[in-house]
Amino acid sequence: MLIGAVLSGLIFGLYFTLVGLGLNLVFGVMRIVNLAHGDFLMLGAFAAFWAFHLFGLHPLVAAAAVLVVFVVIGLPLYYLVVPRLQQARDAEMLSIILFFGLAQMIEAATTIAFGTSERSIPGRVLGTGPVMLLGQRLPSAWVFGAAVSAVAVAGVYLYLYQTRLGRLTRAVMVSRDEALATGIDVHRVSAIAFGIGIGLAGIAGVFAPFMLGSVTPAIGPEINVAAFAVIVVGTLGNPLGTVLGGIVYGVSLMLMQTYLSSWANLLPNLLLIAVLLTRPEGLLGRKVRRA
Amino acid sequence: MKLRVGDAVLAAAVVALMAVLPSVYSNELLLFNFVMFLTLSQGLNILYGFTGYLPFGYVGFFGAGAYGFAIAVMNYGAGPLPAMLIAAAAAVILALVLMPLLRLSGAYFAIASLAAAQAVYQVISNPALEQVTKGPYGVSLTGVFAPRLSYYVAVGIMAGTFALVVWLRNSRFGLALQAIREDTVSAGMAGVSVVRFRTVAWLLSALVAGLVGGVFAWHISVFYPDTAFDVGISIFATVFTLFGGATTLTGPLLGVAILYGVYNAIGITVPQYFQLIYGTLIVGLVMFLPNGLVSLLTRRGIRVP
Amino acid sequence: MSHSAANLLRVEQVVKRFGGFRALDGVSFHLDPGEVLGLVGPNGSGKTTCINVISGLYPPDGGAVMFEGRPIGGMPMHMLARRGINRTFQSPKPFLSLTVRENVEIAAAYGHGPGRAAPDLRALLASLELDGLAERAAGDLNSAQQKTLDLARALATAPRLLLVDELAAGLNPAELLRMAERLRALAADGMALLVVEHLMGFIDRVTDRVIVMNAGKEIFEGTLATATRDPEVIRVFLGGAHG
Repeated sequence: MLIGAVLSGLIFGLYFTLVGLGLNLVFGVMRIVNLAHGDFLMLGAFAAFWAFHLFGLHPLVAAAAVLVVFVVIGLPLYYLVVPRLQQARDAEMLSIILFFGLAQMIEAATTIAFGTSERSIPGRVLGTGPVMLLGQRLPSAWVFGAAVSAVAVAGVYLYLYQTRLGRLTRAVMVSRDEALATGIDVHRVSAIAFGIGIGLAGIAGVFAPFMLGSVTPAIGPEINVAAFAVIVVGTLGNPLGTVLGGIVYGVSLMLMQTYLSSWANLLPNLLLIAVLLTRPEGLLGRKVRRA
Repeated sequence: MKLRVGDAVLAAAVVALMAVLPSVYSNELLLFNFVMFLTLSQGLNILYGFTGYLPFGYVGFFGAGAYGFAIAVMNYGAGPLPAMLIAAAAAVILALVLMPLLRLSGAYFAIASLAAAQAVYQVISNPALEQVTKGPYGVSLTGVFAPRLSYYVAVGIMAGTFALVVWLRNSRFGLALQAIREDTVSAGMAGVSVVRFRTVAWLLSALVAGLVGGVFAWHISVFYPDTAFDVGISIFATVFTLFGGATTLTGPLLGVAILYGVYNAIGITVPQYFQLIYGTLIVGLVMFLPNGLVSLLTRRGIRVP
Repeated sequence: MSHSAANLLRVEQVVKRFGGFRALDGVSFHLDPGEVLGLVGPNGSGKTTCINVISGLYPPDGGAVMFEGRPIGGMPMHMLARRGINRTFQSPKPFLSLTVRENVEIAAAYGHGPGRAAPDLRALLASLELDGLAERAAGDLNSAQQKTLDLARALATAPRLLLVDELAAGLNPAELLRMAERLRALAADGMALLVVEHLMGFIDRVTDRVIVMNAGKEIFEGTLATATRDPEVIRVFLGGAHG
């Protein structure tokens, strides 16, 4: 039972890494909190749902399309709101409120368009029969979702460390002012990071029906808490720390569900509070306390 | 420091209005809901407007109050007034337990407070605690049901909360809280005991929510954990306050009057349209009027109560 | 050391570490009422850290800070303010949404401890030429005015010891001259001042004595005139980043 819990924990850990990654990238580069992250994820899930049920599109195809579309939406959205936000005295706080409003808009519009019913995609789309791993039977949809997450995380890593734009992105993360002073086009770098951030949420959304069972337009806030737990554990503003956060989160979630199932839904909240209070800088360090 | 008369007049007028309305308007539940949000928005204003901490999980104190009241009545046979004291105590105790959250700055505090409220909800609604809280199945307090009396107690709590806000707006203590909001280091150097003062604001704010939660339980008498811990309550109180303008008395009042009015006109039948409207309003507000409606006046140098 | 026990402020072997870096490495000096002491040294030599430790922004990791004969290291800022220690900030952070008058009122109400006369706020604002701006929000002031307001906030607590961190930066020559006169006048009234400043002309005009710091400790104590002839000081300043 323990091996099964840890193994499925690792699988979900990879998936939750993907859930948190975009949020962390946006925070790391722009120092703003995209509270609509969970709603972009939800939109990705609905896109996958309709792509499958209307056109029979495979989730992988849907994921690629969602990534492109979300990046394209993200660029103008960035220029519309973020530069204006960053002029404010308390941009971080205002960003929470603004993106909270955006989240409400997205949730409401999705409810108006599609109603409140739960949507799912049959797991067999991602392969039939369980996958055997270390003597454990795992649903192949889970393994598929985890594999896609791993590829996406690797993609972000390659972007940040192997491309020119990625290196500039890291420079902005270290110091926005220094980056500005050295003539980096901070807005262009940030806009692309913003697009990638919500694109990653979209990909995570495509696989949400498989990993979470089903989705409704109202899952945004719940996803946000999970994403926050992941990135706070793994250090805010450090996209690669997200992997650590995701795995800690996934494994402890599965252990809770195995051994203490009636209290398992407490986990994300307690983990978030506990880490914020004991190691507010995350497991890899950065100060967020005041006074 | 001299009292700005406008503050006291406005507060008294709204209290008088809400006290008189039940005799001319029969939908008492609607009036009660208005009183509830008028009070909760000012309670949130005490914390957010004066110290800058935005508690997304404000509903946690409301729910603690509602369940404090319910448990006192159900399990200990308490009368409604002693149960109100338990409601207040439950919220204050929760606030004391959650005091470490105040060490977190802006965004982290907002999110951690939401997580805390969710955690309290998950504990109270857990079937394992059915003996104590009735778990997810909800509570019924019909034995103490007294709609008229509980309405006036709610108006009394509202009056007390308004008085608190008027005092904060006209006292050195309120100024000191605003100094903390602006900059903790300068506030400390001005001799303000940052930790102690913001703790007081936090406890006062929680107390207001706990009392409103208690009187809500009393007035409504049958409810579920999902109702008492509905994050929508935090969201409404926050949006109303931001929309009108924090740190003022007028702002949250305006926010409730306009937005909760619109909500009752269209929001109950088609909540998603209302959600779309206020989502758009929030985005527009942050972009163009980050200090709320009242800033249309205050930035022209006009004093607003 | 004729007055060792009676010094208003004694900083003894104070150490402050940030990670592995020793920002203060056993610095010692003392200060008496009515005296103006300058702290000079290259960037990163620990001058501002010194002010931050004395004013309670963070506790020392070693050594002792004594004020009126009692240890104060690690005490919270508001307690120090009430005891009579105050400071200005290199980049001032006034309470931007409050008026100039409210800014100083808060400091006078809370920072002014027992046994000291409450300052006359109207006279204070007038003496700093802020009286015309009293009802304006601090956020509307320009940066020089905000620096002056920061000084007013500190003076509103009627401190016995005032720590001045880079007050002169950004002032024009006429303003500099007036600021120097103000600080001398405060010292003439018995206040002790510790002044961190890069502008040597200002230091020369204001201070009675200077401590030259390098790498977290003092390397010279005396008048500025003798300091400029000290070979160690010359080496540090010419070899360091800038003066």
